Amino acid sequence: MSTTAILEIEGLSKSFGGVVAVDNCTMTIREGSVVGLIGPNGAGKSSVIDLVSGFERPTSGRVRFAGVDVVGKRPDQISRLGMIRTFQTPREWRDLSVIDNVRVGRSDLERESLWRSLSAARRLRRQDALDTEQLRELMEHYRLDDIRNDRAVGLSGGQKRLLEFARIAAAKPRLTILDEPMGGVNPVLGERIGEAIRELKKAGSTVVVVEHNLPFIEKTCDEVVVMDLGSVIAQGRFDELRDNERVVDAYLGNDDE
Amino acid sequence: MLQYWTAILTEATIFGVLALGIDMIWGWSGDFDLSAYAYFALGVYMTIIMTVGKAKAPVEYVLGWRLPYLLAVVIAVVVVVAFASIIGAIALRNLRDVYFSITTLGAVWAIYYLVENFTPLFNGYNGVFGLFDPMGGKLSYNAYHYYFFAFCLLVLFLVYLLVQRLSRSPFGRMVRAVRDDERAAAVFGRNVFWTKYRTYLCGAGLAGLSGGLFAAYIGAFNPLDWKPTEIFVLYAAILVGGRGNPRGVVLGSFIVYVGFVEMTRYIPSPAARPELGPALRQILIGLLIILMLKFRPSGLLPERLGTDGTKVRRSWRTWFSRSKILPDPRQDDVVAEPASGVES
Repeated sequence: MSTTAILEIEGLSKSFGGVVAVDNCTMTIREGSVVGLIGPNGAGKSSVIDLVSGFERPTSGRVRFAGVDVVGKRPDQISRLGMIRTFQTPREWRDLSVIDNVRVGRSDLERESLWRSLSAARRLRRQDALDTEQLRELMEHYRLDDIRNDRAVGLSGGQKRLLEFARIAAAKPRLTILDEPMGGVNPVLGERIGEAIRELKKAGSTVVVVEHNLPFIEKTCDEVVVMDLGSVIAQGRFDELRDNERVVDAYLGNDDE
Repeated sequence: MLQYWTAILTEATIFGVLALGIDMIWGWSGDFDLSAYAYFALGVYMTIIMTVGKAKAPVEYVLGWRLPYLLAVVIAVVVVVAFASIIGAIALRNLRDVYFSITTLGAVWAIYYLVENFTPLFNGYNGVFGLFDPMGGKLSYNAYHYYFFAFCLLVLFLVYLLVQRLSRSPFGRMVRAVRDDERAAAVFGRNVFWTKYRTYLCGAGLAGLSGGLFAAYIGAFNPLDWKPTEIFVLYAAILVGGRGNPRGVVLGSFIVYVGFVEMTRYIPSPAARPELGPALRQILIGLLIILMLKFRPSGLLPERLGTDGTKVRRSWRTWFSRSKILPDPRQDDVVAEPASGVES
């Protein structure tokens, strides 16, 4: 694990009207680590992801990703710097085939130029065909090969989760942010998702996982960031935080109050 | 009789070009645009006023040039695209679904009443007219119709080839990804607005081109000829043929324009109720839309699924079931999958 920070969040705040969703949140994610972002419901975890990935604009604060200040940038601009995020429910491109979902996931923007699509159609098709072998290997890996030519909308919930991982693996991001990847997932698939996260790390991506499933976080993550009421209350290794009073209070409620 | 059929088929061919354009906006990009008929009309007006020469009082309109037909069509397309770039920039920036449709509906009626009432532009209510001969007087009046039909067919064929090529290209794939889930497309680095905007301008350009063809077909054009609601006939054509499938869209245009719009002219109207025929035609087209949505919502030739090149087996049994509109699962809560679902 290197010590360079890939994501630096500093004094990040966001309020929706009078509701403060994120309150002076500061954290640093080191490159190459798998970080669990946990906290009770309403702690502001998903809001932080929306702010970091450009879907919401912070009221104040700074976000630096890979050395670039990304506040005010559009989601697609941030993505092109190498950040891919997911949402709480799988978001497949429903009327595209499974293999096309992965093809779009690979994000070869050069190939999608309007002009080249008209003038060099045959060459682009050949390039697509050349990639097919490689993509099928990837889909075999995520158990999607048999259904590669099916419309993505017909997939089961579990297959959609795997398709999402296949898309991310094809995109080769520097940072992957997973928003509750275990939501509605059975134990067997849960194992597979844990494996997929380790594979992402091996492929060179830093991973941030928002999750309520604490055993899963303990098994998968190198480090944990705990949020409550919009700000970070603790950061460190899971076993260190087990005895942290503030963390226990945030999760179980404080008896003294 | 032959001439009559030629006329009908010419019309269907021209509307085929228009339908291909509208399908890019609706079928590929998912934006239910209601202003496209104004782009078509603008294409007609521009082509006519650039070819028939100076306006003679009391008729008045702008420009009044005498350009060669093909040059006039090219300029008309450029003007239409420039005009659509304004409406598209406003409507596509933040508005989606029904809000986008409402905005474009507002735009088309504003344009409609402006054109109808502001006479210096296109002679208002009375419209522009004047016959011009795209072939430069080399052909007799009768032969002209056949040649013009052949010309329109050629244009439709070329447009179809280009649209089909684009549809199957990585660009077409990306446009559909943005349609299916634009947040996910943005997560994977696609500029949602720019993607939709370019598709919109391509569609508007085809609408302008079909207007240019229509100008040579009719020779006179006034606001009565282009009620903005006419666009629903085109949506019916796209729906029947197959939304998102260029081949289906062309097929649908011929079915709807030859089979419904023209054939229903033969429905006899009693002398006392002359409006019955046209009314029945609208009713039939409405019925067609409803029946298609009920029984075959993706059209006769559904959108082509991009595959890895291996043939996908299609049996007759799946002909109906395959094209059912599946409910968007995102609207339901995510539920735990049975263990067997993963292994499949």
